[in-house]
Amino acid sequence: MDAKEKLGKLVGAENFSDAPEVLLEYSQDFSLSPPGMPNYVVKPKDAQEVQKIVSFANENKIPVVPTSSKVHFYGATIPRQGGIVLDLSRMNKILEVDADNRRVRIEAGVTWEQLTRELRKKGFRIIMPLLPHAERSVLTDYLERVVPTNTVYDYGEPLQAMEVVWPTGEIFRMGSASVDGYPDSLSKGGNPSGPGLDFYRFFQGAQGTMGVVTWANLKVESIPVMDKVFFAPVDDVEYAIEFLYRILPRRVGQECLLLNNVDLAAILAEQWPDEFERLLTTLPPWTLILVVSGLLRRPEEKIAYEEKFLGEVLKNEFPEMHLAENLPGFPGLHKKLLPLLRNPWPADVPYWKNRYTGACQNLFFITRPVLASQFMYMVEEMAPQYGYPVSDIGTYFQPIEHNRACHLEFHFFYDPTNDVDKERVRIMYRDIAQALLDEGAFFTQPYGELAPLVYEKAASYAMTLRRVKKVFDPNNIMNPGTLCF
Amino acid sequence: MSISKEAYTVLESIVGAEYISDDPAVCEGYRSGPGGYESGLGYERVMTVIPGCVIMPNSTEEVQRIVKVCCRYNIPYVPYSTGFYGPRSHPHVDGALLIDLKRMDEIDIDDKHWFAVVGPGAIYSPLQEEAMKRGGYVVIGGGGAQASVIANLIGDGWSPLSHRIGLPHRRILGTELVLPDGELVRMGSLAQQDDPFWGEGPGPDLRGLLRGYTGLRGCLGIVTKMAVKILPFQPERLEPTGISPHTSLALPEKRVKWINFVVPNKEAQVKAMFEIGKAEIAGAVTKVPLFWRAIAKAECKEEFWDLWGKENSDSINKFFIVRVLLIGFTSEEQMQYDERVLMDIMTEVGGEARPTKPSDESWIKNADSAGMWMMCGSYVSVDYVIETLSQATQHGETYADLKWKYTPPLMPDYGDPGWFQSFELGHQGYSEFLVYWDQDQDTNGVDLFYVDTAKMNIKNRAYTSLLGPHQPLYLTGPKYGPNYHTWLLRVKEEFDPQWVCHPPVPLAHDVFMERAPWMKSMKDWEVPKDLPK
Repeated sequence: MDAKEKLGKLVGAENFSDAPEVLLEYSQDFSLSPPGMPNYVVKPKDAQEVQKIVSFANENKIPVVPTSSKVHFYGATIPRQGGIVLDLSRMNKILEVDADNRRVRIEAGVTWEQLTRELRKKGFRIIMPLLPHAERSVLTDYLERVVPTNTVYDYGEPLQAMEVVWPTGEIFRMGSASVDGYPDSLSKGGNPSGPGLDFYRFFQGAQGTMGVVTWANLKVESIPVMDKVFFAPVDDVEYAIEFLYRILPRRVGQECLLLNNVDLAAILAEQWPDEFERLLTTLPPWTLILVVSGLLRRPEEKIAYEEKFLGEVLKNEFPEMHLAENLPGFPGLHKKLLPLLRNPWPADVPYWKNRYTGACQNLFFITRPVLASQFMYMVEEMAPQYGYPVSDIGTYFQPIEHNRACHLEFHFFYDPTNDVDKERVRIMYRDIAQALLDEGAFFTQPYGELAPLVYEKAASYAMTLRRVKKVFDPNNIMNPGTLCF
Repeated sequence: MSISKEAYTVLESIVGAEYISDDPAVCEGYRSGPGGYESGLGYERVMTVIPGCVIMPNSTEEVQRIVKVCCRYNIPYVPYSTGFYGPRSHPHVDGALLIDLKRMDEIDIDDKHWFAVVGPGAIYSPLQEEAMKRGGYVVIGGGGAQASVIANLIGDGWSPLSHRIGLPHRRILGTELVLPDGELVRMGSLAQQDDPFWGEGPGPDLRGLLRGYTGLRGCLGIVTKMAVKILPFQPERLEPTGISPHTSLALPEKRVKWINFVVPNKEAQVKAMFEIGKAEIAGAVTKVPLFWRAIAKAECKEEFWDLWGKENSDSINKFFIVRVLLIGFTSEEQMQYDERVLMDIMTEVGGEARPTKPSDESWIKNADSAGMWMMCGSYVSVDYVIETLSQATQHGETYADLKWKYTPPLMPDYGDPGWFQSFELGHQGYSEFLVYWDQDQDTNGVDLFYVDTAKMNIKNRAYTSLLGPHQPLYLTGPKYGPNYHTWLLRVKEEFDPQWVCHPPVPLAHDVFMERAPWMKSMKDWEVPKDLPK
């Protein structure tokens, strides 16, 4: 039986395709990564079908590229060596909402839009990255370590126990979901760790190279009863970052971030391009956004003590930081911004990063906050050398866990229909990434062209990764050509 | 049995004559026990031996060279820092080289970015003191403040303070690991630069090799450096008071305060924990076994038994306490807010605050585990599991039921269902069940109880900390994952094909089952014929 016939039988004809127009859809995305065609696309309905497909692929050494989201920005699901695209979008069930333990168990195809909507009905939310696309898979984004805008929780990542299909085709449950008979069990899946090894760690940041995650448990939080959104116009970003070093370890606020005028304008503008252009010129160079929330009990009192603390710090230590409930000149902004921070970007509106020119190349990494301005300076020095104006660079600073580290993200906007523009941005992106890497920027998610740059610098890590990969994927069928595999 | 003269000479050239010895008197000092964790049990008697040689490196490079010599000369080796974890951190085969890492005791704190870089010989006590001077704190595990920070974080690493951050894995940042073949892998930001501030990646996270929930007992390499998170605390000084052994930390009551509540029943106890988690308040929320109160009050073994002898099943069954630590992380006003919310919750569940000492004797200071074997001489935790509060609040009762069958030799505790508490603001729950025995008695029943708990957890579909090398791998392996043991063993084979790194871990308990005749009745699972003997 050939592959086409076998795969069609496994998932049913309606969930299999090798039609060129379908394959073409999976061969490219919003990134600058070169296109690559799969041979087949299959859409399994459950873990058992995934298991059969992966087993077949492993026996026949056919590449498998898992994909869960309906929209992609980093080239991670573009097949580099053909094979099967395993589209998990049909596996989109919210399997459990466990109110006692503040836990949700979801399949890989559940999107941000779907999850936030369903959780809201029950009074819960999941801490979110900044404006994820509505049709992105929540599970994929957290496996890929998106950084939440909420900085107050010590435990950071919401990922708990999950189920995978190994590249050799076995189904395996990790952490406390590993008990026999789960979920009909005393154990609920609250611990991602073990059994034996911390297997789940190998799946984080793996871009589908280590196996297929079919479902996972995630922590959810109660929706605050009331919120106050504070803004501060910022000219001196170093001063603002010092302020964050002072206040965030004291566990105040929920969402907290810094956006430059380009990114904030792209998020806020509704009338394009006029409103965007106006915002670009009127917004301050940077805006600090801090949400202070009252939780389920005594919400006013919680907000009151946080405001009092902030007031004292501002008055006594940071008199130049003008934190207020409105950004001067932008009345009503607090009402507009909070829903944006607590919801994904709607699917029926062009993605905020793509609205300006049609596409955007993201450059992001982890660093110490104290070094952020130095990296910003480097980018602003280098971009004009490629004909890219500094005034068009979007910049986003996201403190992590009490500002002990930060996620720094630059947005380079380009016209996807203009090949010259695309190539210019691609070269600039690669060169700037190399320069930042050399200065200590830490790229935890090395997508596409970044991977060889990063792993050349982290040679022993790459060598050990290959040894681990060989144990679990001896035929290197999972998304080959990605990372260092 | 000592190692060959030829190998000894090579090893001596690495560290110098002062830091290597095969003198039997020196090696005897590294014998497991007497007393303490898992002491005197069959596993210790059957599986542990004194090392053939002891070496004390002072750098990662020296560790790498030593390990490569071990691979070259086929010398089994065991990494060792403080040895608290009883028999399982001691050599299991004759002629082993014990690599004592206590000289590598650096502690370097970055207080702006809330982490400390530590060596494997660094212990918690100075780290906690230095962290607190800088407005931070670390979570000292039940092993005590005398335990190695790294060894604790790759095997255990929690306490009631884990209400804020449960899984110790989340506190591990950039790490340096000497693999069993001597190759060095640097994880997180250390992979690309000499800065350990970040723990993940690049790409897939190799910290997955470090521990696997409750550790691998050093059978997959030697951690030589680790950056560990410090959590922001509050600015007031906690003043040490008293004279050893009656020491404590006087708490600045406007910023740090323990309150004990008596609640009417278990339902109230559990509800209080869930509600405290949902309200996102407090620094610790715990319920400990009743006999800990006797331990805390007693100054000697006899006094413990005087106090404990007054208890019975009825008093145990009517004892419902919730112990809460409030911390003013933000300000005094924040702690007042937490206290008001806490009192609301306690009013709802019928809890009453009881007078509580304005001091800390155990969890912030040092997790005073030394007193835990005072009354019997030996103890072991047969589970210390992180799951959800749904599991944690029921798990101990299953242990208590099973324990009757093995009492004695286990200490009578009148059916006390153990310890449970909130982790990660109630997203997780923790349960621990400790057993005590007199090592001068016949302890075979303790060995049997220990393995019987694994069977019980399999049957009850409960997660347990005692997986991997802590129980027979071929008993638990097929039932969790399933078949996690096959993947663990494949990883072991990849990185340690000679099985020189702490053999026969992770199969040591399987080997024990084969060697100990009194365990035969318990064994009803299959093991391969080529199990290491």
